[in-house]
Amino acid sequence: MKKIILFLPLITILIVSSFLLIFLLQKKDPNKPPSALLNENLPEFKIINLFDQTQVLTNSDIKEKIVLINFFASWCAPCKLEHPLFFDIKKQHPNLYLFGIGHKDKVIDALKYLNRDGNPYDYVGIDNTGLIGLDFGVFGLPETFLINSSGKIVYKYLGPLTKKIIKNEIQPLIQ
Amino acid sequence: MKFNLLFNKPSFLLVLSILFFTLLINNVNANIEDNLKKITLKLRCMTCQNQTIYDSEADFSLDIKKIVIQKLQNNETEKEIINFLIQRYGEYIVFEPQMNKQNIFLWFFPFVIMALSLVFLILRIKKN
Repeated sequence: MKKIILFLPLITILIVSSFLLIFLLQKKDPNKPPSALLNENLPEFKIINLFDQTQVLTNSDIKEKIVLINFFASWCAPCKLEHPLFFDIKKQHPNLYLFGIGHKDKVIDALKYLNRDGNPYDYVGIDNTGLIGLDFGVFGLPETFLINSSGKIVYKYLGPLTKKIIKNEIQPLIQ
Repeated sequence: MKFNLLFNKPSFLLVLSILFFTLLINNVNANIEDNLKKITLKLRCMTCQNQTIYDSEADFSLDIKKIVIQKLQNNETEKEIINFLIQRYGEYIVFEPQMNKQNIFLWFFPFVIMALSLVFLILRIKKN
């Protein structure tokens, strides 16, 4: 009995450390840190339309809509991989507002890209300085955010979307 | 003649003010550079492998450096700048965990363990 008491602090430390380690390693990929904006309100933004630079979109324009925001660029190879999937999402969910943001891209290059590969978005904004991306905490492309009708960010994905991710993670939040 | 021209009153004052402002600007720039280094050494480059923003030349790090310089020029404090970045990128962007409710266990657990061990040690010594 005395021997067990002697080892009690060590046993306690080992148990607590094991629980901490399990908690820390749970579903955590260091390359994909969680978004600080998850479950927060959509940041205030004002973005110029890629096709008509006299037109501007702000938060109030997408109020009460379910919005899928996709940060892309013509120079981003993984963006090309997920691009066709946005046509499928739009087909399956016509009420979903698809909002593309050309991040750190030249207007002419973004236009060429969408003319060549098609434009699945309801609105395409251009963020050539990257400042809007900064407000969304964007640090790699592509990044996709789902906004609910209350204007809260309910989902964020870093990297190219796949059919599986759309089916398992995005669609349940849209329906 | 040249000497007189340079040191007549208006010219002398002009040269003096230019010199003063050059020194002032250099001093401000040096301060900004020092603060930039101090802040960016605490920040993690999110697109690199365990590198500080100060050491990194990645696009992301260059953007953050630009923002930090802009904010320093607007006289924002180190705390304000770091909070601005945490709000957008989360605590992952700083190497040192923040002192807040969520991290209180992380900060104080080693001290709790140390105190418990000390108590245990004292009791053992007393017993012996």
